Amino acid sequence: MEALTKMTRIEIVIPGRDAPPIRELITSAGSTGYTAVSGVSGLGHHGQHSGALLFNEYDTLTMLITVLPTEKAPALIGAVRQLLEDGPGVMFVADTYVSRPEYFA
Amino acid sequence: MSLGVRAAVTRATRTVVPMWPLSSFIAVNPLGAHESEDFAISGVTRPRNAYLADYASGRISGADLVAAVLHRVPELAGAGNVTLGGRVWTAAELVASELVHADHHGRTTPPPPSPDPVDELVSIWIAAYLDPHPLWEMPDRDQGLWAAWTTMTRYDPRLPKMARKRLRDIPRTADEALAQALARLDPSGSRTEAILRQEALGLPGWVAHIKWRAEHVGDINLTSYLAIRLTLRWALDLPLPLAVKKPELGSATVWERAGTIIPALAEDSASPDTLARVARILTLHPPHLHASTWQSAYEEHYRLQLVATLSPTTTRDLQSAVQLVMCIDPRSEGMRRHLEADLEIETYGFAGFFGVPIRFASYQARGTIDSLPALIAPRHAVTETTNDLPRARRRTNALRFRDALAAGVHASETTPAAPFALAETLGWFFGAGALLRTLWPGTIRARERLHRQATPALSTEVTIADAFTLEERASLAETAIRMMGLDRFAPLVVLAGHGSSSANNLYQSALDCGACGGNPGAANARAATAIFNDPQVRRILAGRGLAIPETTVFVAAEHNTVSDRIDILDRHLLPESHIDVLNEFIGTQRIAADLLVRERSSELPGASGHSLARLRRRAHDWAEVYPELGLAGNAAMIIGPRAMTRGVNLERRVFLHSYVPELDPDGSALETIMTAPLVVAQWINHQYYFSTVDQNRWGAGTKTIHNAIGTIGVLAGHGGDLKSGLPLQSVAVGNTNLHEPMRLTVLIQAPLDRIGTIISRNQVLRDLFDNNWIALTARDSQHSPWHRYGTYGWHTDTELGQTTEGD
Repeated sequence: MEALTKMTRIEIVIPGRDAPPIRELITSAGSTGYTAVSGVSGLGHHGQHSGALLFNEYDTLTMLITVLPTEKAPALIGAVRQLLEDGPGVMFVADTYVSRPEYFA
Repeated sequence: MSLGVRAAVTRATRTVVPMWPLSSFIAVNPLGAHESEDFAISGVTRPRNAYLADYASGRISGADLVAAVLHRVPELAGAGNVTLGGRVWTAAELVASELVHADHHGRTTPPPPSPDPVDELVSIWIAAYLDPHPLWEMPDRDQGLWAAWTTMTRYDPRLPKMARKRLRDIPRTADEALAQALARLDPSGSRTEAILRQEALGLPGWVAHIKWRAEHVGDINLTSYLAIRLTLRWALDLPLPLAVKKPELGSATVWERAGTIIPALAEDSASPDTLARVARILTLHPPHLHASTWQSAYEEHYRLQLVATLSPTTTRDLQSAVQLVMCIDPRSEGMRRHLEADLEIETYGFAGFFGVPIRFASYQARGTIDSLPALIAPRHAVTETTNDLPRARRRTNALRFRDALAAGVHASETTPAAPFALAETLGWFFGAGALLRTLWPGTIRARERLHRQATPALSTEVTIADAFTLEERASLAETAIRMMGLDRFAPLVVLAGHGSSSANNLYQSALDCGACGGNPGAANARAATAIFNDPQVRRILAGRGLAIPETTVFVAAEHNTVSDRIDILDRHLLPESHIDVLNEFIGTQRIAADLLVRERSSELPGASGHSLARLRRRAHDWAEVYPELGLAGNAAMIIGPRAMTRGVNLERRVFLHSYVPELDPDGSALETIMTAPLVVAQWINHQYYFSTVDQNRWGAGTKTIHNAIGTIGVLAGHGGDLKSGLPLQSVAVGNTNLHEPMRLTVLIQAPLDRIGTIISRNQVLRDLFDNNWIALTARDSQHSPWHRYGTYGWHTDTELGQTTEGD
């Protein structure tokens, strides 16, 4: 772990139709990228969610994952919290370690 | 950059449903963001007087009202009876009587807000930014809306000198400007979201389109838009717009309601005990439900009629010579019905993109079209190729010449002073053409023939192998077969997409195929045909138990919904062995087309007594605002085998999706149907519903005063908001509705537990069914009783009784 750089990993699970503004927030916060996984399945606050649907990406859940320097994280976390306040979606925040920090700065 | 401001903008505009540009019109539920709430909360229904008139005429019966009341409030079934006026009233009857005799749901509509000068200015700037004049585009446009606006407003003479002076010293970015404006208006920050929401209500059409554009093009966003509005308000010293008051419901107490209904039903005064009993029953059906219950009763009448008309036969053992697969679009129903008069033809319904979502570019075309449902993103680029290169060169040269000519004329029209010279030199020519076209719309066909002769026709093929891997092609074919229940194959299988043709019609795209993103469906039909005819795909399908005989050939076609002709595409790919059967099909289709055009003419405004030729000329008449009626009248969707509906005149009101449970052992095909075609049908249905119920708020107004903003949308007249929804001519003639506004009635023949499982694991379906945006009736098989999906899940539909089909 000593050779790795500590950063913050943020995962957001939201309906596909609500993903564009979150993606915009992520890039505006200074993240150099994100991973999007569409068709996420599971069981949550609003009940069961089927996985990927063949011809509908709009109504399935999407998971957005981004890693960014720890000092840039609070602004993004605050904005996403504000966005999720009374709508569907969850956010997970965790420390993470990366081997190539220049990819994320 | 303030992320908090962006988050506040997103929250404030969360309920805005994106509006697609007019060039690829996508019907949407304008209240789609409220689907997580009960439909009754929307409060958008016809006025009570309209329901009362239907009740008086029998369009809504007393039984319909009682059934609607019981469906809405099942608890009323056990709420006891009341004796009034010498008869016994069940609780549901009492509640239904209140709907007829008392008006407690009348909403008082607040007066419209006074005109806001900010709206007028901003509308012009946004239009100029999104639809730039080729020679006079906004300065710094390439740097985004905020940069262009801040540069231009310093010189805009419509702004007072003082405002221009103020605007010289504003932040360089929209985010900073919006944060600054909000800080001035609301130092505490407690009303930020309310201010932004109120500001976004000013021009709802533009806001909806900007939301779409931000996601799909990216050259504008709502942060810039709202920053301009609030900064301008500050520069002009204008107050914030007043919050629009919500319509208020009547505030009668349940005792007052009981006191109103009892004298209407009984001459004698009621005892305190009876009064209390009536009040207790009425409590179960509060006034905010009254309007939606009337609406349910209106729909119940249609639902009962629809189920009663379903075909009593459920199996068909005849071997057909031709199978025709058409879009689920209700307009296909008429064509399918007339064609099936020939017992050699059987038909299927499937989403008009045939399960092949593509971005398509015609041979050497400059642009592409996204020919796929709006629910998915394009991932497969399909183009055309040809082996006839010499002819392709001649065709390209001819098209380039025409393009250059058109571009030259256009440049002359838009360059200062040149229009005068153009009018002097070519004005007579164009004038004569316009006169011919106005007086004899059919002459446009002669011009089209001339164009065709000058431009050599080219035999092309679509390039599916580059766009899809073999496994993808096989999966798409398997999915399509299982979804539409194609359990046997005729020698010829026709996949017919659909498109519409009309002249001078800004809403042309709204008449094309919704499953193809508001485009004609020919490209998808051709791509799907190529996949089904691919020997490698067939080998894989055979390995999966879906063998397509070698003697079966698929052919692509396109149904023109104005002329009702079906044009066969890529004929050069059809083997000699199938020419005869194709020609027989074409002959039958011509007869069916004439019958269907004649049938439709009875509903087309101004078409009474017209010849078939004249009816078809509507496609070329640039003064015709009713080339066809599109999907007006759509009211239901049936998912099940065609045998349920074969031979039944559904009056082109029903989306028909074929489905055979036996071909779908794991239910995945049904899940795909319910989460895609059904959702799209619901969008279309609600677009028609809201455009009809409140044309002023949710419709685009009359076509006759529309001004196009490029291919983005239309304004009514020379300014104001971008119009959303369907134009008046899509849903009405004057004050008479062409469309009966009803929420989609969905009928499914499939195992109930399978349907229930699919609903329970898909939020979109839970919202739609549980919150009464659409209604679901289903049965396990043709011999099973119908069940209704309601508040507490499935229950036997006593209104429909036991099914006897097939017995």
